[in-house]
Amino acid sequence: MKLIKLISWQYARTHKLRSLLTMAGIVLGVAVFVGMHTANQSVMAAFSKTVNRIAGATQLQITAGEAGFDEEVLERVQAAPGVRVAVPVIEAVVNLNLRSQSNILILAVDLTGDRSLRDYTLEEGDDTVIEDPLVFIAQPDSLMATREFASANQLAINSKITLDAMDGPRTFTVRGIMQSSGLTSAFGGNLAIMDVYAAQKVFGRGRKFDRIDLAVNEGEPVAAVQARLGQMLGPGFEVDPPSARGKQFEALSSVYGAMANLTSMFALFIGMFIIYNSFAIAVTQRRSEIGILRALGASRGQIQTLFLAESALLGLAGAAAGVLFGLLIARGISASLGEFLGEIYGVAQRADEIASDPKLLLGALAMGVVTSLIAAWIPARGAAQVDPVRALQKGRYQILSAGENRVRRITAFALLGVVVFCLFFTQNRIAFYGGYFLTVIAGLLLVPTAAAWLSKALRPLMKTLAPVEGTLAADSLIQSPRRTSGAVSALALSISLVIALGGMARASYDAINEWMRVAFNPDMFLTATQNITDRSFRFPVSFADAVREAPGVRVVQLVRNGRLQYNGGPVMFVAVEIAKLERESFLPAVEGDSSTMYKRAAAGEGFILSDNFAQLYNVHLGNPLTLNTPNGALTLPVVGVVRDYSDQKGTVLMDRAVFIKNWNDDSINIVRLYLQRGVTVEATRQWLEQRFAGKTRFFIFTNRDLKAYVTKITDQWFGLTYIQLFVAVLVAVLGIINTLTVSITDRRRELGVLQAVGALRNQVRRTIWLEAIAIGVVGLLIGFLFGVVALYYTIEMSARDFAGLRLEYTYPWGMSAALWPVILGAALLAALAPAEQAVRGSLVESLEYE
Amino acid sequence: MSKYALLLAVAAMAQDARQIVEESQKRHRSSSQRYEGVLQVFKPNGKNSEKRWQFSRVGNYGESKALLRFIAPPEVKGVALLIVNHTDRASDQWMWLPELQRDRRVALQDRSTRFFGTDFSYEDLEERDVEQSDFKMLGEETVEGLACWKIESTPRKTRASQYAKVVMWIRKDIYFPVRYEMYVKDQVLRRLHYRRIEKTQGVWSALELDMEDLRRKGRTVLKTEKLQYNVPVKEEMFTLQTLRRGE
Repeated sequence: MKLIKLISWQYARTHKLRSLLTMAGIVLGVAVFVGMHTANQSVMAAFSKTVNRIAGATQLQITAGEAGFDEEVLERVQAAPGVRVAVPVIEAVVNLNLRSQSNILILAVDLTGDRSLRDYTLEEGDDTVIEDPLVFIAQPDSLMATREFASANQLAINSKITLDAMDGPRTFTVRGIMQSSGLTSAFGGNLAIMDVYAAQKVFGRGRKFDRIDLAVNEGEPVAAVQARLGQMLGPGFEVDPPSARGKQFEALSSVYGAMANLTSMFALFIGMFIIYNSFAIAVTQRRSEIGILRALGASRGQIQTLFLAESALLGLAGAAAGVLFGLLIARGISASLGEFLGEIYGVAQRADEIASDPKLLLGALAMGVVTSLIAAWIPARGAAQVDPVRALQKGRYQILSAGENRVRRITAFALLGVVVFCLFFTQNRIAFYGGYFLTVIAGLLLVPTAAAWLSKALRPLMKTLAPVEGTLAADSLIQSPRRTSGAVSALALSISLVIALGGMARASYDAINEWMRVAFNPDMFLTATQNITDRSFRFPVSFADAVREAPGVRVVQLVRNGRLQYNGGPVMFVAVEIAKLERESFLPAVEGDSSTMYKRAAAGEGFILSDNFAQLYNVHLGNPLTLNTPNGALTLPVVGVVRDYSDQKGTVLMDRAVFIKNWNDDSINIVRLYLQRGVTVEATRQWLEQRFAGKTRFFIFTNRDLKAYVTKITDQWFGLTYIQLFVAVLVAVLGIINTLTVSITDRRRELGVLQAVGALRNQVRRTIWLEAIAIGVVGLLIGFLFGVVALYYTIEMSARDFAGLRLEYTYPWGMSAALWPVILGAALLAALAPAEQAVRGSLVESLEYE
Repeated sequence: MSKYALLLAVAAMAQDARQIVEESQKRHRSSSQRYEGVLQVFKPNGKNSEKRWQFSRVGNYGESKALLRFIAPPEVKGVALLIVNHTDRASDQWMWLPELQRDRRVALQDRSTRFFGTDFSYEDLEERDVEQSDFKMLGEETVEGLACWKIESTPRKTRASQYAKVVMWIRKDIYFPVRYEMYVKDQVLRRLHYRRIEKTQGVWSALELDMEDLRRKGRTVLKTEKLQYNVPVKEEMFTLQTLRRGE
């Protein structure tokens, strides 16, 4: 401790900027980790809070995926032994176009029994209505709002709200305003209560419910009732405590969580190189100090501990700052994340509070310290091995011995041998990820050799460009491989991340565009909601019959999609008229024969799977696939696999008749319209609007609209990637600034000598600038090479574990080209301050340095 | 010897209590009934409400079918309730909502819930089957100048009830109940008074039921008007189809 106070603290104080820059990598990595995870957790926590508050005294909930179930199920559940009270529920998030512009969660319940489960204490309203559920349900336009929602929208008792119901706009009357309580704070307070039977009409649910909430008899074990109901209802139903819904939501957005982990891990990994670099240089610079300490009797262990303690403190400080910064940015991220998840997964959730999990924060602190310790381990070991006699001699020590380099190269090639084995001789997941890790290590071990080789190769060019400055800059890099390789490694890793993510994004866009070209070829789409991922409202089948009357419509395709549980995970189902699909938007089979696939699926003899479903669940052509339906388990063979990007969790396509028969549901989400030649979209739109305006709730998307919408969602998804790219580039730039600052300090005497013998300030500046640019060039070239491998692994990871998407390997040449000016510009910018530092200092002090 | 005598006396009293309750139910049976009801709810906050309905019943005690159609106030006019009573289980109920033009099943699962904002719980409105309770004679008392038996009824374990016990006062002269006290644990939760007891077409009836909820401090009065017994009522009136037709 004394040594830290006497030596390390003094050193940190004298090199404030460097210490800050060294910390910056940790700050950024931890901040990204904390920010993204806290935002994610906040949204999850808000969802769970909403679920819990809405659940009230509910002990079990019964669902059957998004398809819902018939009313008769309620009677069976109510009559089941052990059930004290069971009530039906419909839940939907709608936008009422009110003042606050917020979405509102409509909780539709049966008030005759529901008050046993939930507390609807009202502060305002006609007492008759409130006290007497009969009056509320007898008037199906009744709505109870929360105090929070009423205030935000200036609503009072008897205020009217217009809601676009399936059968046209309907006016609702606020008949009660609920007192603030647990229930009313659900969904950020944007909650309204409606009668469940009125909601069936409003949302086009027919005679179906979304869910049954129930409480068991006093003294009855919940688990026993759960098991009994599960057995009674069969596999098509899920009987779970309310908390399970939070887990389902979490499972749905797990890809986002994985992306958040990946980004922060990469940022930390890159940050590790900055720390490694700084410590390696610090050890070199402080070797005389180490020599004195050793001469005074300090043991090797004490020296190593001193450096490790320094790094731990640095890591702790950086992680603490990162945690604070992360919590700050979490608010901003979570604000948009809820909306974003709603757009992608159709499950809207707003997070008004930041849920900071102490475990996450402690974990982040530990992560910062551990990262810092790992990064400082080798330099600390190096410091411990410093020979006191050599250390007390003046001179620089930035040269890697030939032997050291050879060992690194041999190790790297040996590791690459293991990687090849992992890749080609085993499909094991640990071997795959281990292979990726070893590839990174091997690449990093080769960086000093490659950097030195490239620096040497650049020397003639730099000499040609600027004979004195270019030569000095190139020599500085060649003679200080330790210093150079740290910055180059950090930069190369960042570049490889950019290439991998950019390549992945490019490949995804190409694949999605190609899929949209074939699958989204109708002229028009009619949907019941403004957002195609939201399935709160559904058309009755009679709507499609009326649409068929539209003049000039060649084909009307009916689509019903939604989510159901498969193997404990949420997957998408799409029920469509397969025969029409084959004729109008033929997606070729990637497994199986296309013609047989469509024929069998149209005959109801099998399922067609999306490629990602097949990958994620390892179900392929010919395998039996069992889906749980309200009528029991439905097992059909997989008759083909197609490239389909409808959902990240995988999609099962089935014929509409199969769905209607097994789910007892003929409602529709989307109507796809193909027009006759010569008939314009505009004319059809006008006809539809005239025919259905005020009678049916519907939204029209043209082909272009829908493609733009899907592209927008894809853009939102890859917006995360751009955050990753930004973080990667930022960390890399920090690395360059750090390296140059260290380099300037390290070469203070050399630069002083140069100025003393007549070098102009501009020449010194240019030397530093060129050195930065050279680091940029070397980093870019090595990074591009790393990128080739990183892209391969990213695409494989995506196919194997994240979304099951098989994407074409396409190297992003355009992005690589765009990186040149970005990185070189950033390198130059990073060099400005260090260059000024180099020329502004006192010449005498510089010459006295060391 | 004295122990046996005491046991026999207790058994005899228990038998008496049951017989009295049975007799009370038997005496006031009718094959059908029709009336117009006025339901007045007096709330502790002074906000009172009133509803009116037409009631028809067919069948005997415990196995009857009833149809209740609201006629006022305008918010609930046309809402109808079909009740099918069973001897062995809770009744089945369906409600017709004219605004929605559909019927819905009313599940009487939580029988302790208040009946549509009144001080009656669903359980209070059920026809009580003597076989589902045990009875104990508590003695004799005078209620409003009339001699009554005071009988305690406790639900048998097979019959779940919100009440630990119900104490009833039955008039000795006509075997007609005049008061009930419903207990939760050892506290009286509700008190029901039978008032305006009159003979209509040979059947004794209370034309006014007054229920007090002692916890909520609320009171509900159910008044019976235009009461008729043994009127010709068709069985098909008490079906879902009729309910849906809104007749």
